[in-house]
Amino acid sequence: MEDPKDKLQFNPQIQVTKVSYQGIIEETDTTLFKWSKGMLIYDTHPFFEVLRTLEDSHFIDKKELNFPCIHLEEGKLERICDLTIKPNGQQITIFLYDYTDKYKEVNQIAQQKNESILLAKELELRNKYLLEKEEFKNSFIANINHEIRTPLTSILGFVQVLEKTPLTFEQEELARIIKRESRHLNSLIDDMIDIAKIESGTLKIVQERFAFRDLIAGFDETYSKAAKEKEISFETYVESNIQEYLIGDRTRVYQILNNILNNAFKFTEEGRIKFTISKNYQRTNKLSLTFKIEDTGMGILEENIPYLFERFTRFDHDKQISGTGLGLAIVKNLVDLLNGEIKVISEPDKGTTFCVKLPFKFEITKTTIGRKKKKYTLPPNKKKFRILLVEDEEITQYLIMKILISQGTYFVDIAINGEQAINYIEKRQYDLILMDLTVSKIDGYKASQMIRNNYGDKFISEIPIIGFSGKTDHNARDKCIRSGMDDFIAKPFEQEELLYKIIKQIAKKAAD
Amino acid sequence: MKLSKKVVLLGHFGVGKTSLFRRFIDNEFSEEYKVTLGVQIKKKVIQLPDGRELSMIIWDTEGHSNTVEDTRKSYLLGSHAFIYVFDLTREDTYKNLNSDLDYLKNNYNKVVTKVIGNKLDLVNENEASKRLEEQRIPFDCLTSAKTNENVQDFFTDLAVEITK
Repeated sequence: MEDPKDKLQFNPQIQVTKVSYQGIIEETDTTLFKWSKGMLIYDTHPFFEVLRTLEDSHFIDKKELNFPCIHLEEGKLERICDLTIKPNGQQITIFLYDYTDKYKEVNQIAQQKNESILLAKELELRNKYLLEKEEFKNSFIANINHEIRTPLTSILGFVQVLEKTPLTFEQEELARIIKRESRHLNSLIDDMIDIAKIESGTLKIVQERFAFRDLIAGFDETYSKAAKEKEISFETYVESNIQEYLIGDRTRVYQILNNILNNAFKFTEEGRIKFTISKNYQRTNKLSLTFKIEDTGMGILEENIPYLFERFTRFDHDKQISGTGLGLAIVKNLVDLLNGEIKVISEPDKGTTFCVKLPFKFEITKTTIGRKKKKYTLPPNKKKFRILLVEDEEITQYLIMKILISQGTYFVDIAINGEQAINYIEKRQYDLILMDLTVSKIDGYKASQMIRNNYGDKFISEIPIIGFSGKTDHNARDKCIRSGMDDFIAKPFEQEELLYKIIKQIAKKAAD
Repeated sequence: MKLSKKVVLLGHFGVGKTSLFRRFIDNEFSEEYKVTLGVQIKKKVIQLPDGRELSMIIWDTEGHSNTVEDTRKSYLLGSHAFIYVFDLTREDTYKNLNSDLDYLKNNYNKVVTKVIGNKLDLVNENEASKRLEEQRIPFDCLTSAKTNENVQDFFTDLAVEITK
């Protein structure tokens, strides 16, 4: 607050007023306010109501009372005064010192100081709010993801079951459309989750050895078929000096290239799409590759190119083509996360070329032996295998039952929670458990740990367990393995994938 | 003689004491923050349910930045009620509330003391109440000077209480 010495330099104007104990002004000058003899002091300003409340006790230690920095108004005039009230026999003397200018100066400083503190608090609050919002959004997306994937699993699964029944040509076509659209919906959910993960910084890049040439061959196979359907040409060129196996994030590289190729196919109605992979440089165990995807599609206006990688960007001419406008935003973010570069050259009606440069590593010492998906068959010693399905959602129970029973080689029991599953395995011998991770009472992780740790009987403690869930965060698989499960399958799953994993685990157990 | 009671608004700076003061006296609100230096005093005449008229003299004091003990003692002389205002969005404006209330109780034990959590328009009422209860922050009312929520009722109830 103000320094009294500073205040003295202001030489305030002073008004002295004497009032009776009844509040009647008996003597006053009009230096500051136009008060006059005979007026009631209480009528001049509400401050003076204080005189009614003052008692002798308030003056015991002091002969006067001081009230600094009081705002006193008279009409539109406002003065900021220090007041001294002094009892004096039958009268009270009031001294008013006008420090308006000084206080206004102090006011400016206090205003700036408080404003800066409040602004900092406001920013802190806004930041907290944004973080909470972000957290809510991510958890919402994770939950909605689970909620959507569960019915989607059923749709995809039942369509596949339906396809194996006798269908007319038209029904077959309708089933094919349902399957295609369900897969599309699934990929849209993946896009949404990826964007959420990228924005929250939770998307982890992994470094794993993968069959690079197999990945490219997969693209070639898929898109050659698509090109045939669209009656356009698709050519893939891979420089021969590129290694068979590379180290990098296979999933993300696949996602980047698949998104760009998919886009090229969406916007190309005639001509060709050319996919070229070349090596920029190679030093010790590092190399950089350029992936060039050229199409003869509708192209992009020059002024639109800067917005191409923004979320939800859809240009006027895109509107007839399905999509969320998230694909290229994900591509750009993933390329950045992989420390790569992406460039676009385009001319309307002539076509577009995307160039992606990505760094990889490779193993110098290891031989590059191909890793093909191993084939497994059910052990021939049994005709039927008993599977315990731990799942609380009826529709998923029904779907998996349908898939397994249609094979003719499985008996299926259903437990609706972890506790029931434990009871079942104690009473009956199972060849495999399909364990939903989020069942009630005892969840899938805990139930698996109990099966692995609490039983001396090998027929119980070594039952192969496959976890499954619609919650597909990156560590779901790791968590399953750590809980003692043998494998994990994410919803929605393809029928073939589920059967492959079941056969694989039963075959592996039989071979032990 | 006219019934007259002195009510003092206390609390940290920027919690909305002046906004409550202006909302109650003139039914006005401004988003612009203007620091209060010293004290501003205004009067409002309230019709009590029993027909009497109360002249409520409200002292809007300069906000403190730490504890209520920083408020000038002379401002508190002869008070009939204190309204301790805190900002629901700023925890530092109520972290010393319990010790401030102890101070007021020990030094002004005859003065009615009420606690208001202001800026209700910026928070979820249920969540805010729950959080305050968890933190053992006592309060009599949650208000919004901006939307006028609970403001008039609070002052009317206070008028009745201090004239009993």
